[in-house]
Amino acid sequence: MTGLAVVGKDQEYRPYFGDRLVRSLDYLRFKARSHNAVFACETVSRVVSEQHKYRLYIELFPDQWKQSKKSLYKAGHFKAYSERTNEFYQLVNDNCFPLLEYWHDDPDLELERFAIPPMNFDLCCEEVDFAGLRDSYLAGLIFYFSEDDEIWKFFSEKYGVEKKDLPSIKTSPHTSVWGEKQNAKTKPYSDLIRLVDHSTGNPWLDVTHCQYPEFFDWNKETVDWLTETYKAANESFRNLDELDKRIEENPQKFFSELISFWNTGKEVGWRD
Amino acid sequence: MPVDDSPVSILRAEPERINPAIILADRLMRRDAEELLTVAEVAEAENVLAIGNEEIEAIECHRKAFLKTPASAIDYIPVGF
Repeated sequence: MTGLAVVGKDQEYRPYFGDRLVRSLDYLRFKARSHNAVFACETVSRVVSEQHKYRLYIELFPDQWKQSKKSLYKAGHFKAYSERTNEFYQLVNDNCFPLLEYWHDDPDLELERFAIPPMNFDLCCEEVDFAGLRDSYLAGLIFYFSEDDEIWKFFSEKYGVEKKDLPSIKTSPHTSVWGEKQNAKTKPYSDLIRLVDHSTGNPWLDVTHCQYPEFFDWNKETVDWLTETYKAANESFRNLDELDKRIEENPQKFFSELISFWNTGKEVGWRD
Repeated sequence: MPVDDSPVSILRAEPERINPAIILADRLMRRDAEELLTVAEVAEAENVLAIGNEEIEAIECHRKAFLKTPASAIDYIPVGF
């Protein structure tokens, strides 16, 4: 029994001869070791896992599945998976969120669970490159690097804002800073502090390179959630545009309001 | 049931069968990959995997027990000697 006869009976699915040959060879490799229980358990796990990915592929990308010519048997870039499963990973990467970057660049990797790359800046163990940051994001860092003169030097040179002319910064923020209810004026400040603090509730913005990565399972709910939160994370960075404008319009007012919000949780009136 | 707790008796008491994962793996390998497994089939596969892994662990335990067992003389000559 070589398995070739079984393949030969297959009249409906015949993408190309090479694929049938790969399937037959795969079966022969299996038969040569099929009385090894450990190998059999690995085979069952692999088949079930791959089938799970196919089901998810159909659920998330039904049109692409129908049109796909990728092999269900031949190994793809990630060697533990078929070309079809690899195509699924690529579709998730192209249409949902960055999957094939950062953590997942090793072809020998098994992607039974996956991690996501951090989108926010790490403030924990690396020296922050202030020059590469948005002005509004850098403004948020004054609460976490209060003794760092480099930030104040930057704002002094660019906007003429001096630390001594502003309210002193309390060591910890007012509890209202974290409140969900914010008005149109304070919400951007609250969002900025949450972003800098890595406390947004969005996994793309809260994880850092310094912590052990969180691993996610392959299911529709998780893929949908990560897709939505990825869009929201990009939106958070776009929201900084408004704060950048506020700085440019009136830097002194911006810093006074931001520090007052940090200290009191409220928007403190500013007189032009 | 084992007549005593010697490794041989315990091993003899084990059910005589092929690991169910081997049978299921053969079935899955003959199947067309495009024909997706049903929820019931996945559940069955997970159940078989649990049983299959338990059996592998049991055999590993027996092997370790045999390795620890000191050699002893037998009272008959095996066929061929």
